[in-house]
Amino acid sequence: MRSFSDINPLAAALYFFCVTGIAMFSSYPPVMALSLFGGVLFFIVRNGRSRAKSHLFFFILFMILLIANPLMSHNGVTVLFVMNDNPVTLEALLYGLNSAAMIVGVLYWFRSFTQIMTSDKLLYITGSLSPKLSLIISMALRFVPLFNKQSQKIKSSQTAMGLFKDDNIIDDIRARMRIFSILITWALENGITTADSMSARGYGCTRRSQFRRFRFHRSDVIFLIITAGLFALCCAALSCGSLEFTFYPAIKYSKPDLLGICGISAYSVLVLMPVIIETGVSLKWKYFMSKI
Amino acid sequence: MEILHVEDLSFTYSLCSSPALKNVSFSVRKGEFCVLCGATGSGKSTLLRLLKKELIPNGEISGKALFNGKPTAEISDIDSASKIGFVMQRPEQQIVTDKVWHELAFGLENLGVPASEAARRVAEMASYFGIGEWYDKDVSELSGGQKQMLNLAAILVMKPEILILDEPTAQLDPIAASDFIATLRKLNHDLGLTILIAEHRLEETVPICDKLLVIEKGVLIADAPPEAAISELKAHPEILCGMPAASKLYTELDGGSSCPLTVRQGREFIAAAFKNDIRELPDTDNTLSGDTALEFKGVFFRYSKNSQDVLKGLDLKINQGELFCILGGNGSGKTTTLNAAAGLIKPYCGSIKVFDKKLKDYRNRSLYRDCLAMLPQDVQTVFLRNTVREELEDSGTDVSALPYDITHLLDKHPYDLSGGEQQLVALAKVLAASPKLLLLDEPTKGMDAAAKLKISSILRDLRDNGVTIVVVTHDVEFAAECADRCAMFFGGQVVSVEKSKRFFSENNFYTTAVNRITRDFYSDIVTHDDAVKICRMNGRKEALP
Amino acid sequence: MIVIHNRNVSNTIRFIVPFIIIPALTIIGSAAFSRKRHIIISLAIAVLSLLLFYAGFEKRSTGTRRMVIVAVMTALCFAGRFIPFLKPISALTIISGIYLGGEAGFLVGSVTAILSNFYFGQGPWTAFQMLAWGLIGMFAGLLADPLKRNRILLLVYGAAAGLAYSFIMDIWTVLWYAEGFKLNLYFSALATAVPYTASYVISNVLFLSLLAKPFGEKLERIHIKYGI
Ligand SMILES: Nc1ncnc2c1ncn2[C@@H]1O[C@H](COP(=O)(O)OP(=O)(O)OP(=O)(O)O)[C@@H](O)[C@H]1O
Ligand SMILES: Nc1ncnc2c1ncn2[C@@H]1O[C@H](COP(=O)(O)OP(=O)(O)OP(=O)(O)O)[C@@H](O)[C@H]1O
Ligand SMILES: [Mg+2]
Ligand SMILES: [Mg+2]
Repeated sequence: MRSFSDINPLAAALYFFCVTGIAMFSSYPPVMALSLFGGVLFFIVRNGRSRAKSHLFFFILFMILLIANPLMSHNGVTVLFVMNDNPVTLEALLYGLNSAAMIVGVLYWFRSFTQIMTSDKLLYITGSLSPKLSLIISMALRFVPLFNKQSQKIKSSQTAMGLFKDDNIIDDIRARMRIFSILITWALENGITTADSMSARGYGCTRRSQFRRFRFHRSDVIFLIITAGLFALCCAALSCGSLEFTFYPAIKYSKPDLLGICGISAYSVLVLMPVIIETGVSLKWKYFMSKI
Repeated sequence: MEILHVEDLSFTYSLCSSPALKNVSFSVRKGEFCVLCGATGSGKSTLLRLLKKELIPNGEISGKALFNGKPTAEISDIDSASKIGFVMQRPEQQIVTDKVWHELAFGLENLGVPASEAARRVAEMASYFGIGEWYDKDVSELSGGQKQMLNLAAILVMKPEILILDEPTAQLDPIAASDFIATLRKLNHDLGLTILIAEHRLEETVPICDKLLVIEKGVLIADAPPEAAISELKAHPEILCGMPAASKLYTELDGGSSCPLTVRQGREFIAAAFKNDIRELPDTDNTLSGDTALEFKGVFFRYSKNSQDVLKGLDLKINQGELFCILGGNGSGKTTTLNAAAGLIKPYCGSIKVFDKKLKDYRNRSLYRDCLAMLPQDVQTVFLRNTVREELEDSGTDVSALPYDITHLLDKHPYDLSGGEQQLVALAKVLAASPKLLLLDEPTKGMDAAAKLKISSILRDLRDNGVTIVVVTHDVEFAAECADRCAMFFGGQVVSVEKSKRFFSENNFYTTAVNRITRDFYSDIVTHDDAVKICRMNGRKEALP
Repeated sequence: MIVIHNRNVSNTIRFIVPFIIIPALTIIGSAAFSRKRHIIISLAIAVLSLLLFYAGFEKRSTGTRRMVIVAVMTALCFAGRFIPFLKPISALTIISGIYLGGEAGFLVGSVTAILSNFYFGQGPWTAFQMLAWGLIGMFAGLLADPLKRNRILLLVYGAAAGLAYSFIMDIWTVLWYAEGFKLNLYFSALATAVPYTASYVISNVLFLSLLAKPFGEKLERIHIKYGI
């Protein structure tokens, strides 16, 4: 069993799009709650107690989103109180809560997604979609630190050659502008040399092969099948209107039928899958370690 | 069988008036080891690039270049990529990917080689070059020598028929450079690989080559086996002075039958031809013990918190009016030392004094005003303008007062110059600052021997006018020629400081070929001129009966 | 692998996406989900148009040198996004569009968006950002000649691009937050975003006036020296 971050990147990407897609598409409060809960839980499982700042940021964002809607939208029939001659309604407040949960939940999912999709995985995905695009991305990623280094180098060379001789701000800015300008020239020249070196080694002359690739293991296929099945169930429930929820003008929702219950259960399994995998792996490790 | 045939090849860069190559014709046979040499800016890189269609620069070409009987421009993309391997002048710029393994595999991926076969070829090549240990590293962590080996390996996995190299050893320390050349020789012997290499470091390449091509101002002036080529070159002293020490001694001393090339042959030549009654030249060098110009005391430095120390308790004292050379392996910390001396990096422990004043007491950049100037290792960081003329005007250089001629370069973009020309222009810029302490980081890389002689005479003149000069270099011949004292840098420290003659005569590898030739007969001879002098003083042996 | 290596597949996509899938999605979306989230539909459209573009790009043979130059510009944009308050991304995208062609402009804009979002926060808006910046670059490429000749026009285009970027991204904000598109929410979103919009406009005009000429010269030089 492999941990979630070792799953084939394409499968992982598909998983993330299923989870966030359903969260964005539906407006059924339990789904929102599940997505938020799963997103936060997975983030905590991955990062432990660190990242307090992120949590704080998301909490503030959540509160802002929650409050913004009732202050701006005055639909709804249950008036809680009146502020500045505008009614603040229960429906609008609940709607805000729902939206906030959806947005913050999706944000949490994307945070984890960004952590898992390291650049080599990103390149694998784009490489299988469009090799050229993947090349541009990988080059750009390599160039950023390179340019940074070169600009440091130019700056210190020039300092030692007396470019910043006069000690006033105008001179300083002028010198910096020149350094920036030559950095661009250098970057372009250097890029051309790299390009030449690539075509000298046959880049673009036939279809490329990939030396190291992420294979689809059996566990990836199983993971994908489960994801697809659960996703299909959720979609069915959503499109048949079993998970209908209306906020305005008054709150109205359908009694959950069998399909609806299946949909919700499917979504909760979907959302918890990464956490289940991670715990399974760590338990297994503990077991192996205990045998050593 | 001819693998490469060049006929009447001429080339003019776009926007340039004069041609960079004029009617060059030569041919290379399969399995040959050819060396191409010539002054800086004579057109070596241009010629090599014209042989590979992907690298042909923009400009006007006439004449033809045939590879296996086919014009190079008509070879299929795949054949051109795989069969003609090219290693470029700067190791960093050739690297395309960020991981060592990926760099090795890059060419094979492009050729569409299936993963299993690619894995085998990469593994084989990695073992041959001993790359195994750093196979999974980031490319940026490698030293200069490792990068160059990686470049070579990355080309060789594609199984080229001919390998073209453009000054591959310019930035390598003497030991790494001879390793590199030994590897090339081995490839040539073991695999029968054809090799064409442009080099300034001829001491080791000429003895093993089958053919020496000499180019001057875009014209091929010699194309023959090395012994023959050298005797043809008598009329070109500026090219001859770059040839192996043994052959230079032989030519200068009017030797006998066959021209020696290697150190061993040189030794035999001296042993056979000259007496050794006088073993030493009279001691002439002036001992300086003036005030100190630059002093390091227990300096420790590292680049980041959790990396290793690069400078480990460095102690060093350089006197005023001295020409001081620092030698040492790649990545040993020489550049770092110069940067610390110039106040560009701050050591976390220890003190650095320039003219008896601590670095931090030089406020408001007064350090760089007439006091200290540095030529950085990467000369491309020196240029800020669009033409050489503006560049020199900026620094207030008087072009006519320079001992070398760069007037023909004035209207070019600094990035269009050849490697050696960039070096010359950068040096001109630094000299214009007329500092009291001059720090030079590998000032002679990529330069031909004649230009080096000029540089060393400039430096000696400056020293005689009271300027203190610190030179970091890999070039032992240059250091022996000009230095007063030399230091060996190892493990973040200076491990020995010695007067230059002693220094070189005690070393085995970090020493000149002249010293290796003469050390059994005479002591403390390190330069060509001294060797000629002492041989003349001793006189020839009587011809054997 | 999926889209590209197969000529037919990529051709089919190029045909199907604009003529069938996008209109179908719009129609079905507005009919079936009128009260539900438009967000998914607009997201799908954004992603598909990006896909369409990249499929087309993959087919054309762009020289390696040009592609690496695009990567260089992307890296510069990426690095520029770390400057606080003033963002040179749109300006550099516009410059790339003008001097390297609309396609390059689109690539620089869209790739910068997806790459830099790995640092500044990836989210569903990435697709919109990619599209917005990509289009800014592409239109700059279409208008290359007048923009190259007339400096004032260039600055006006920069300002307009800044406004347009803000407007597009606010549509997205509203779609994401609320059910359907509500004008009053849109206006309040626009109002809260005024400081951002101002900073986009200012940075575009500022960076275009500072960078357009030197970058133009350098790219022209590369063009002459290497014939890109
Ligand atoms: N891109 C270019 N545009 C214009 N002129 C150029 C360009 N590249 C080189 N040159 C000029 O062509 C001449 C030959 O340059 P080349 O690089 O071939 O010299 P080289 O023999 O390799 O010198 P070095 O030993 O210094 O590397 C030089 O005078 C140089 O200034
Ligand atoms: N900017 C930097 N950041 C981190 N590490 C660096 C940096 N520059 C150099 N190093 C490391 O410090 C060590 C010493 O480098 P330095 O450039 O001083 O060597 P050097 O003796 O000048 O080598 P060479 O002869 O190849 O120029 C090397 O291991 C190198 O990897
Ligand atoms: Mg050269
Ligand atoms: Mg160095």
